[in-house]
Amino acid sequence: MAQSAWSRIKHSEAANGLALVSPTAIYAILLLAAPLLTIFAFSFFKDGYLTVIREVTLENYIAVWSDPIFRSILLRSLIVAGLVTLATVALAFPVAYFLSFKLRPERKSLWLFLITIPFWTSYLIRVFLWKVILGYNGVINSGLKSLGLIGDGRLIEDPIQMLNTVGAITVTLAHAYAPFAILPIFVALEKIDRSLLEAGQDLGESKAMTFLRVTLPLAMPGVVAAVLIVFIPTIGDYVTPELIGGGKLPMVANMIQAQLLPLDNKPMGSAIAISAMAVVALISLGFVAMNRRYLRGAK
Amino acid sequence: MIDVKPAPRNVIAAKVPLDQRKTMIEFQDVHKYYGDYHALRGITATIREGEFFSLLGPSGCGKTTLLRTIAGFEGISSGAVLIDGNSMENVPANKRPTNMVFQSYAIFPHLTVAQNVGFGLRRDPRSKAEKDKLVEESLEMVGLKGYGARAAHALSGGQRQRVALARALILKPKVLLLDEPLSALDKKIREQMQVELIKLQREVGITFVLVTHDQEEALVMSDRIAVMFEGEIAQLADPETLYRRPNSRRVADFIGVMNFLPARVLGEGNGHIQLDVPGLGPLDVTEEQASAAPNGGEAAVGFRPETLTLLYDGQTPLDREAPGTIDEVVYYGDMTYYDVKLDGVEKPVRISMRNVFGRPVLDVGTRTRVAWSPGALVLFR
Amino acid sequence: MKLPSLRIYALAYLLFLYAPILLLPIFAFNDGTIIAFPLKGFTLEWFGQMFANDTLRRAVGNSLIIAGSTAVFATVLGIFAARAGSRFRFPGKGPIMGLIMLPLVLPEIMVGGSLLLVLLSVGIELSVFTVILGHVLIATPYTIAILNTAFSSLDVSLEEAAYDLGEGKWSTFRLITLPLVLPGIISSMLIAFTISLDEFIIAFFLAGNEPTLPTYIFSQLRFPKQIPMIMALGTCLVALSIILLTIAEYFRRRGIAKTGGKDTGGFL
Repeated sequence: MAQSAWSRIKHSEAANGLALVSPTAIYAILLLAAPLLTIFAFSFFKDGYLTVIREVTLENYIAVWSDPIFRSILLRSLIVAGLVTLATVALAFPVAYFLSFKLRPERKSLWLFLITIPFWTSYLIRVFLWKVILGYNGVINSGLKSLGLIGDGRLIEDPIQMLNTVGAITVTLAHAYAPFAILPIFVALEKIDRSLLEAGQDLGESKAMTFLRVTLPLAMPGVVAAVLIVFIPTIGDYVTPELIGGGKLPMVANMIQAQLLPLDNKPMGSAIAISAMAVVALISLGFVAMNRRYLRGAK
Repeated sequence: MIDVKPAPRNVIAAKVPLDQRKTMIEFQDVHKYYGDYHALRGITATIREGEFFSLLGPSGCGKTTLLRTIAGFEGISSGAVLIDGNSMENVPANKRPTNMVFQSYAIFPHLTVAQNVGFGLRRDPRSKAEKDKLVEESLEMVGLKGYGARAAHALSGGQRQRVALARALILKPKVLLLDEPLSALDKKIREQMQVELIKLQREVGITFVLVTHDQEEALVMSDRIAVMFEGEIAQLADPETLYRRPNSRRVADFIGVMNFLPARVLGEGNGHIQLDVPGLGPLDVTEEQASAAPNGGEAAVGFRPETLTLLYDGQTPLDREAPGTIDEVVYYGDMTYYDVKLDGVEKPVRISMRNVFGRPVLDVGTRTRVAWSPGALVLFR
Repeated sequence: MKLPSLRIYALAYLLFLYAPILLLPIFAFNDGTIIAFPLKGFTLEWFGQMFANDTLRRAVGNSLIIAGSTAVFATVLGIFAARAGSRFRFPGKGPIMGLIMLPLVLPEIMVGGSLLLVLLSVGIELSVFTVILGHVLIATPYTIAILNTAFSSLDVSLEEAAYDLGEGKWSTFRLITLPLVLPGIISSMLIAFTISLDEFIIAFFLAGNEPTLPTYIFSQLRFPKQIPMIMALGTCLVALSIILLTIAEYFRRRGIAKTGGKDTGGFL
């Protein structure tokens, strides 16, 4: 057996790969997988005052699902997340298309950089700024006022009430997650072989039909990724309902937080979290299944 | 014309004929498995000192794997690889007396040209001045004198190739390994580099082992060529033998163009074989012309396009002639290729004719006579 | 689908993305306690208030410790995972990498909430350290994404060539691999730093009584009097983020140029 050291290294590729990934993997298992499993386990425990009684029960889930407040909050979260997803993806697609098809390659990274900058800057401050913009005495209302559009007998009687509405929450979240939607669609569009589009037109299709029959189906994996990457985190958003909804329009995350911190009912909080995540997972899987024909062979 | 003699190119070493030189690399029944995949199937061969040796074959034939077993990047499953008489078992790539020119050249992009060339001298005990001189000499050898201070990533493809050569040769390896070194270059530079590589190899006298899928490149550059298919060496010979006497239809097909006509063996004896070939008639070949490797299936004779000649009106053949009709004409400028259907044969044979001044290019459909000679045939059976 | 209309749309979209941020400096320098038009006049008062605030100073200190540690640890973990992911095949690679990258899509409330539960039941006291634990978890997927590009644009034969020229495994890494991926590593650290500096939810759950910049800001948003100062603070934060990101982008591009690769765009 002639085995050089280098080849032995190569031969145990699996062992080497596992050894190399293990610090990161162990970290993720200890601090991500284990806590998620804990939350799952807690959701079946009983809450005793200041302690948790380790006794398996479905009580929490029954309580959660029979609670009309939970159901309406979940429904509101789903509607908001759905609206946000629809808005971000629909608004982002033309931008991604512009970036991928209409820009010279050397300009692309500049545009991408510009689009990602707001995404990396303080989320909290961006959300708060929307409060400033939409407030009763906010930028929009005070702007309209100083233009003389608000007041008795003017175009608008009173300052517009925008805060504390689902619409305001939606706009804020849509703004916050916009770059999330652009990037996956852009990546999918970049992967499209440009000669396919020429082939489409060469085979007698108009530009619009080529877009519908070639570009759009090929971009679908990116659209699906964009939908998931916006939908899942938005449904768990805490800051926006708190600041823009004024705490009067809570979403799931606010409910989880309330149970875990001020109310200190960990099993109930866990059950809410697991329930919400289960619903999100079901919807996501359903969505992926619906688009399976686009996703097949996407990789 | 049929007489086959290896023509060694290496001028320095040519004083000693190839088969009398000492063995530099020896493969002893080398096998290599990747899981279930049998990549090398019992390679046994020797490469001589100072030889320009090529591993030629289609992609996936195992030629690169074999090269990498010499370098030590690839272990072997059984058998042995010896370099200069020493077993390479348990000798890692960084301790072997070999250096490699990579297909991508692997020029370190963050270093200058001189730092690249001198990379392997880091552990060398000599003084910095001596090393610098060595680097300068190496650069001069590959025609890059004065390029030392340049950034490596600013070089052209041809220049990268030269840096890679200088970097590998500066360590004076016993064997230089070249993994498709010319495949990334365009045609003109490639042909120029072929000539330069031959000259360089003569100058340094080091054993070169080249991997290539380009049969022309292998023919031009090598002392000997191993043609590989599916992890096995199909034929190991000097370029002329390989071209004139391929030992199988597969090798014949891979190297240049060869026409095949089905043949019937009538009888043999006294070192001769009597054949009947439709289109050519009955003929005799010597046993030397018969291919050594068993081919299975039906016997066939093969001949290269340039061993046939179209006869113009009034010309008489040197040996024999056969009538036919021109089926297709392909004009190449210096050459014209004619596909001719010999009378009584459905499949046309390809004939190449040099476009000598005054000789007209014939039209499709022209009746013609083809001059041929039994001595130029190869019999596959 | 006319060309200019698409470009105008894209520019309008960019403006929409930046509009709120552009308001920050306007009101940070506005001499008025209410955030509203018309503007009153120029002042540096809010910045002065900001620098005089003790709690804020403590929050900045905490945030810098957390972000710095997160940058280092997330990048180290990212190097391991990216190297393993881009060079090796191993059993369970899909699930393992999936778990590591999960925080990219998982709502942060899940990460923060579940970690809080475990830390409390194990009896670890909440502190700056526990925030670091959480931030490393969410920053690592981003560092992996950046380092993956750095590692996969590195030609394997470069390392083989160094080995072939007599270097050992470690010196090959030191002389070839490290210098070539260094820009990627710096870029990854800057991104992890930025993520940690801006992160709110996890810090909110795991910091206990220690303020960080975002949790401090959140606590002050209730008091209208503090808003102008928060605007000033936000201006500084956003400016810092942009500077860090620009440096990160510079190193990312330099890394690509160094290894002779082609720029395929953004961080992800």
